[in-house]
Amino acid sequence: MARIYEDLTQVKRKSRIILYLLGVILFVLLIFYWKIQVLDHSKYWEMAEANRLRELAIPAPRGLIFDRQKVVLADNSPSFKVTLIREAVKNYQETLDRLSRFLGIDSEELKNRIERYRFLPAFEPVTIKDNLKLDEVASIEARKEEFPELRLEVEPKRYYPFGPAAAHLLGYLQEVSVDEINSNPEKQWHGGEMVGKSGLEKQYNDYLTGLDGKLVEMVDNLGRPRGEVSRIEPQNGKNLAITLDFDLQKKAEELLQGREGTVVALDPRTGECLVWASSPAFDPNRFITRFSPGEWLSIINDQGKPLENRAIRGLYPPGSIFKIIMALTALDTGVITANSTFYCSGSVEMYGKEFACWFEPGHGSLNLAEAIRHSCNVYFYQLGRRINIDTIADYAHRLGLGQKTGVDMPGEKEGLVPSADWKRKFLGETWFPGETISVAIGQGPLLVTPLQIATMTACVANRGEAVRPMLVKKDKEERERKKIGIDPEIFETVIEGMWRSVNEQGTGRGAFQPGLDVCGKTGSTQLISRETAERLTQKGEELKKTHSWFTGFAPRNNPQIVVTVLVEYGGMGGQTAAPIAGEIFKMYREKYAGQKNL
Amino acid sequence: MLDRRIFREIDWSTILLMVAISLIGLVFVYSAVYYQASHYVWRQMVWLLVSLFFLLVSLLIDYKILLSFSFLFYILMNVILLWLLFFGRLVANTRSWIVLGPFRVQPSELTKIAVILLLARIFSEYKEDLMSFRAFVVSSGIVGLPVFLTALQPDLGTALTYSPILLGTYYLAGMRRKYIVLILIVSFLVGFFGWNYGLKDYQKKRIETLLNPTQDLRGSGYQLRQSKIAIGSGGLTGKGYHKGTQSQLRFLPARHTDFIMAVIGEEIGFLGIFLIVGIYFLFLYRLFATTFMSPDRAGVYIAFLSALLISCQFLINFMMIIGLFPITGIPVPFLSYGGSSLLVSFLLCGLVINVRMRRFAFI
Repeated sequence: MARIYEDLTQVKRKSRIILYLLGVILFVLLIFYWKIQVLDHSKYWEMAEANRLRELAIPAPRGLIFDRQKVVLADNSPSFKVTLIREAVKNYQETLDRLSRFLGIDSEELKNRIERYRFLPAFEPVTIKDNLKLDEVASIEARKEEFPELRLEVEPKRYYPFGPAAAHLLGYLQEVSVDEINSNPEKQWHGGEMVGKSGLEKQYNDYLTGLDGKLVEMVDNLGRPRGEVSRIEPQNGKNLAITLDFDLQKKAEELLQGREGTVVALDPRTGECLVWASSPAFDPNRFITRFSPGEWLSIINDQGKPLENRAIRGLYPPGSIFKIIMALTALDTGVITANSTFYCSGSVEMYGKEFACWFEPGHGSLNLAEAIRHSCNVYFYQLGRRINIDTIADYAHRLGLGQKTGVDMPGEKEGLVPSADWKRKFLGETWFPGETISVAIGQGPLLVTPLQIATMTACVANRGEAVRPMLVKKDKEERERKKIGIDPEIFETVIEGMWRSVNEQGTGRGAFQPGLDVCGKTGSTQLISRETAERLTQKGEELKKTHSWFTGFAPRNNPQIVVTVLVEYGGMGGQTAAPIAGEIFKMYREKYAGQKNL
Repeated sequence: MLDRRIFREIDWSTILLMVAISLIGLVFVYSAVYYQASHYVWRQMVWLLVSLFFLLVSLLIDYKILLSFSFLFYILMNVILLWLLFFGRLVANTRSWIVLGPFRVQPSELTKIAVILLLARIFSEYKEDLMSFRAFVVSSGIVGLPVFLTALQPDLGTALTYSPILLGTYYLAGMRRKYIVLILIVSFLVGFFGWNYGLKDYQKKRIETLLNPTQDLRGSGYQLRQSKIAIGSGGLTGKGYHKGTQSQLRFLPARHTDFIMAVIGEEIGFLGIFLIVGIYFLFLYRLFATTFMSPDRAGVYIAFLSALLISCQFLINFMMIIGLFPITGIPVPFLSYGGSSLLVSFLLCGLVINVRMRRFAFI
């Protein structure tokens, strides 16, 4: 077979061109690779690191809170929670449905819970259920591969061993809200973190909060952990020692059981609060677990307002307690002396109107100390007619009313001390002298908080030195003991009256304790008109439509404790509040008899 | 008929390069699927041995004999493709596989050999300098039939890999350069405008899945992104064998198949890529060089079309993983995991070697 030589130069040349072209293209592509791999290396390196590394916070235990005898009031206990990492979710709706079935949470609610943290980076875990029971923990752990987007975390959870005891004082924790995270970027709060929402937990939140640790772990494309890269251990929050005496606190809460009211006790020498009870109370442990919306509503709509911290947020007319301030004002301005007497016939007519004493037969002729002892209204009407409202307001302010006490507790209210200016400004009317008569016995527009009354009483007990109430002990330098500019001698007359009120069958006799010179003053605030009250009495209904007040201190010389009691709708002050205060004084004496000169 | 001289002429260096590239592929497939319980590596080894065996067997037969059977072979392959359309088993939504126990073969890959052989036979008689219209129609028809059948499977990705064969034939047969440029421009414009304005989203989605069956649920954007991160983070020298976080932690999809080059880029860096490209180019050079020494026109066609086919697959994959070409499910010949792709690549190169070793046969 003869070989026919063909002319293949054309096709071979074409093939050669393609080969060269191929070489050129590969060379150009290598330049592209050089750009990506060498020039832009660090950019892609960071992206790869962001892919593979996940930072997680290791929650730091919160500091403990204990009372002055080191009784732990707020503790921590380990708790399991399950979190979801959105980054790892492939099909959102499907995952929601599966989780809802698996965890037994309504799919809508679950969605809301996750949506709330939409703004967070997708790699941050969102808590979807906490306080897991052990069998729940086991079933989640067992199905780890099936739910790679879920994480089980153990976190130290706040635990209040005494439940509702001192609840208002301690406050409660709740999940930090989206708004709070956004408006406080410096706090570096993360979604699902529990922060103090009231009470000491709020006031000292930064102090109690530890420094979260940090765990960096390697994850795969489904978000499954594949080993730890680094770990910084968390630092515990600092412990908080408070001035509370938990024995007295328990006693006070026991006495308030079933009533709405508050008991505050403090050491007049330093302002340290010994008792801070508000009733009804709530169990702060319940706030730790995430509430269902229904539970929330039931707490908020409760008629007794269990969340209200009555000691600083309850506003009440002071009633006869205000007579202490009237007495001090009258003596200091020289309107009367200790021996000035007025006659009480059961009522008195002033500015063309009849003002009644609470004791219809009348107290007869009495001096200031006696007037305080019997809480005679007529005597103080007489003072009210002789003293200008602005002068009264000035003294009330000096004794701490109408302003925050400055206690280390959030949400304190100011109360109200009326003056001519105030009325012009807020009501647009001039002050009538007749209104001063009501103010003289603590009625009218006056409003005070129980803690203000306790602080005022401490100032009286100190014979004119005001202290600022506190719950956490401060250094001596930080404590304030400030003279209010009234001569100590002036206080002795008022204190004499308060002593007689308790020890000589006065209105405060319910607080009497043998061997302990208790001085005190009762108050009852009229909430309904006298006519209505009489009508109700005639019908034979029990008349308990007034708030019942008592405030006092002991011992008379060298006072060590101030007790202020308010019982809402408790009737006359001597009837309900004074005996409660008496029990507190009694227990204080028994407890400290050995240690202190009582 | 079997001349001893022929065996001395076997192009051992090309075979060596093929095996070397396959072994490099095997090493990185091993790395890519390390944390997956699978038999990928063993299977690929078996395929490699099988492919080598068939390569050597194919060398025994003179390519001119193969050419004389090419029409029959072509018809047979198209019948198989047609048969698949009706009786093929649905694997990953396409009827493109014949399942033989643990192994699967893709006839549409093998058909490329038949197409190349038939074109070589027909055009060995075609000695014009300019391509006639008739030659244009015939060559388009020969390629068009299996492309059409493959597209119906539906496996658009594989169907599109036929285009280098067709364009290469046009070019060699002397189609005017301006027509080739025109064809390229028109197909680009049709692709571009059709994609951006002609198709609805669900249609695009459907085509995307056809082009790229391994596509992740998170879309081809995710794949490209992860691929670029893998390559870029590899840097100059790489993160080290088996230490690529993108591949080991599975961020990189289709690691052992379409994105094997990204694994290489991540683990041994730019230098590794450079080395692979170098070896690959050497290998492609050997294939193209065969055309220069081919004794006849058919040999030129065989060697040229085979070399072009492999070059284009390599190029497209190499561009695709850094976003210079749309993501389509095209593996890298020899490097990527995949048995029938490996076998077909070996057989294609077998044809080229066959041409080369018989260049002196009749002198």
